[in-house]
Amino acid sequence: MTLSPRFNLTVGVLATLCLAAIIHILVVLSIPHNVQHSAFDNVAKHGPDRQFNLLPDLKPGQEVLPDLDPAMKHAACRFELADGPVLFDASIPVSFWSIGLFNSAGEAVYSLNNRTAGAERLSMLVITTEQLSILRENPPENLEDLIVIETNEISGFALLRAFVPHPSKADTVDKALMAANCGTMG
Amino acid sequence: MTDASTRPPAPAHSEADWYQERLPRAIRPHRSHPLRTLTAVTLVVALASLLGISSAYLVIEREQPLDAVSIGPWQAYPRAGTAEADPYSVAIYTRGAVIPLASGEGLALVAREDSTGHLLDPTCIYRIYGQTPSARLWTMTAVDGHGRLVETLPGRVHLASQNLLRNPDGSFDITAATKPQSGNWLPLAASASASDGLRFVLRLYDAPVTTGAALDGVSMPAIERQGCP
Repeated sequence: MTLSPRFNLTVGVLATLCLAAIIHILVVLSIPHNVQHSAFDNVAKHGPDRQFNLLPDLKPGQEVLPDLDPAMKHAACRFELADGPVLFDASIPVSFWSIGLFNSAGEAVYSLNNRTAGAERLSMLVITTEQLSILRENPPENLEDLIVIETNEISGFALLRAFVPHPSKADTVDKALMAANCGTMG
Repeated sequence: MTDASTRPPAPAHSEADWYQERLPRAIRPHRSHPLRTLTAVTLVVALASLLGISSAYLVIEREQPLDAVSIGPWQAYPRAGTAEADPYSVAIYTRGAVIPLASGEGLALVAREDSTGHLLDPTCIYRIYGQTPSARLWTMTAVDGHGRLVETLPGRVHLASQNLLRNPDGSFDITAATKPQSGNWLPLAASASASDGLRFVLRLYDAPVTTGAALDGVSMPAIERQGCP
């Protein structure tokens, strides 16, 4: 079958566009799987897992993680729920602090700030459904006071942000963030 | 392959020629041209790859997620960095290893243009004035076109709502400039050229507007260009 040159050209252009669209979609979808340094990996550079590691202050040219607020101090903690539930405990004496829980893909799973926490002190338990049912059989005394977050995300990290109202407060905030706990129960 | 010059000349009035010319094109006997077909297919594949990859690169490199909520010059991406994010936001955020501000913490709004639609220029002086949506705390940061912090004269790159001078009606006036200004001064890059780009990032902490729907009809500060050198 021989077709007119114009028809051949149209078919060629259409095929190019369709194939280009497919390649475009494949490239965009494949980027998250081929990222060399995810946020989850970057957090690990600042210290061991299962403890809050104070991130250095944000300075021009030395940003430890992109897109963080220079008005805040940050501490990050990486955890694997397979090693047991994680208990977050912190008391930060500033007018605003917040904590965000992210999964290993960097998606926000849960977040709260010092007003929604309902208390001056942060005490939050991140636990898998299975671990919670085991814990319920023999509940610890303070389980009622904890914010319990059931999740199926096995690995993830938490980022604690604390506002520094004035440079003179920086030391206090540093100490409070370093004293923050991201460990096992009991 | 026979060279055209050595081929015997075709008879002027042969029956076969006459027969072929009068057949409709679609049912004429097909002679395959493997080389031509291969070239065409290669061309299509190469062009498609070029188009597909470069368009994907351009979209991702712009670092502007698609499902933005715009209020004046400000844009927010409430769904980026969550499980409901669109594939472009996911690609942009994971590629940049960005840790988003989660909904329970606050909302970040980015301005790349002033209120008249001109791209922000770090060598100019801007006046940012008006109101923000209600929030317990907000900070305003000046960053370059890639979202990175820049060196400024006083070393500080942000303003916080708690330390702001306000008008009696609660509104505020911020002057963003390289050189010191009276009132609320947001320092811009000490040594910058127009090509470095400028973005203002307004982060509202503990704000009721962290969901996209609540952003309709809130008042955001206006950005006005005061002058350029």
